[in-house]
Amino acid sequence: MLYGGIDVGSLSAQAVIIKDNVIYSNYSMRVKPRPVDSAATVLEEALKEKGLSLKDLAFCVSTGYGREQIQKEGLSGENMSEISCHGKGAHWVLPQVRTIIDIGGQDAKVIKVDENGELVNFVMNDKCAAGTGRFLDVMSKTLGVSVDELAPLSLKSRQTVEMSSRCSIFCETEVHHYLQRGASLADVAAGINYAMAERVMALVRRVGIEKEITMSGGVAKNSAVRKELEKLMQTRMVTYKVDTQIVGALGAALFARKLGEVKSL
Amino acid sequence: MISLGIDVGSLFTKAVLLDDDQMLASAMRETTGNISGEMEEFINEVASRGGVSRQNIEVCVSAGQGEDLVEQADFSEDTVVCIAMASRHLLPESELAVDVGGQSITTVISDTEGEVANFMHNDKCASGSGRFIEVISSALGVNMNDIDEIAEKAQKTIPVSTQCAVFAESEIVSYVNQGEAVPDLIAAVCEAVARMVVSQALRFGNIKNYTVTGGVGRISAVVNVLEKRLQGNYYSFPIDPRLAVAYGASLLGQMEE
Repeated sequence: MLYGGIDVGSLSAQAVIIKDNVIYSNYSMRVKPRPVDSAATVLEEALKEKGLSLKDLAFCVSTGYGREQIQKEGLSGENMSEISCHGKGAHWVLPQVRTIIDIGGQDAKVIKVDENGELVNFVMNDKCAAGTGRFLDVMSKTLGVSVDELAPLSLKSRQTVEMSSRCSIFCETEVHHYLQRGASLADVAAGINYAMAERVMALVRRVGIEKEITMSGGVAKNSAVRKELEKLMQTRMVTYKVDTQIVGALGAALFARKLGEVKSL
Repeated sequence: MISLGIDVGSLFTKAVLLDDDQMLASAMRETTGNISGEMEEFINEVASRGGVSRQNIEVCVSAGQGEDLVEQADFSEDTVVCIAMASRHLLPESELAVDVGGQSITTVISDTEGEVANFMHNDKCASGSGRFIEVISSALGVNMNDIDEIAEKAQKTIPVSTQCAVFAESEIVSYVNQGEAVPDLIAAVCEAVARMVVSQALRFGNIKNYTVTGGVGRISAVVNVLEKRLQGNYYSFPIDPRLAVAYGASLLGQMEE
């Protein structure tokens, strides 16, 4: 049996197809203006990779932006919150995980799960761009580099600059000032990565740290932020074997299997 | 007695030259990275506008984020103290001054003597500040000076649901993509700013009389919404509201001797 999960984020959309407890196919893309259109395309592409079509799926679950609308349009049979899906997905990849730090393009969440992958507690910031992927997006544009370059660039840093503001808009001004005063791109990039880790740490403190800890979402791909965050938490994080961005969609697919199996009884 | 008040703000530097109660001249320029080096020339500029020579300035008081950059100052005063003094002096009835600057919102309650009774200051977040309007109007390709004229053409109300300037910018851009008109969106931004300012002002409870200072005080589209949402009487600041801090600093210079 094949089960599908769709996760539409603020910047990217993912679909995962699972078969016999393995990831059979997955696909990621930039979002379209309407979440429903993103969902339709991303699912179709994930199916196409294996020469499948929508009718081959036993059940599908949607999560993220527009998850209810996606269900209404018949692309999924059920919708689940992205918090539950992230917990579920992370637990499947790494059963020993208890704390999941998920930093997306427009929000940041710290999710705690128990030994069965069930949600215990979570905190979320979706009010302020500081501490979300958008912060890195805005900052990298100000530096004139791509967001993927921030981590490699900061490796060459000799003296990390200090960002005194929290607000992304004010940090933009600060970056300009540092560059005008002749700070190197590497030192400013290191300051940006550190500031990012600090904001995430503020969120982590609110739920506390329980091992094992892992990071998902796009920002998890920034190794410098990960390293700074590990220093602040004074503990190492464990890494996934799978692409960190598909964990939400994977969780949705796992819920689809659970629900599909119940429905077929 | 001739006194000079200089307010080095985040975006603009302002100066007010007073002879006792009378305003002789004012000046304004962008706060550059070299504002300290430009200061002497700036002081000469305002002095010559006021028809006095540089030596006649008896006291110079600095204020604002860059107060330390004014080497010529005899002393510095806190912006909150300056706002209270300026607003009570020019508008004796006004107990609350709401100062919306380039990067901050400050609300100040003063007593009849112009002393600060209570205040609140947000400079941590761009939400509701002049920068918020600047970021979004530039995303819409609108010049800050044209905001009132454009907002007047608004036909309908569009809600802005986010507080964060970064997120609000995206929200507005997505409205543009949905085909919403620029005047409606500019009006929506002014409404959002007013709402954020009101929420800070209301923490002091209901106020009878108030005024609005700072750069945003010049934007009627924001002030009109403030008037609607705040109970009490609005008093229009009688001079350019961007000069409030420099005016207050200059007044405090007069009192010091």
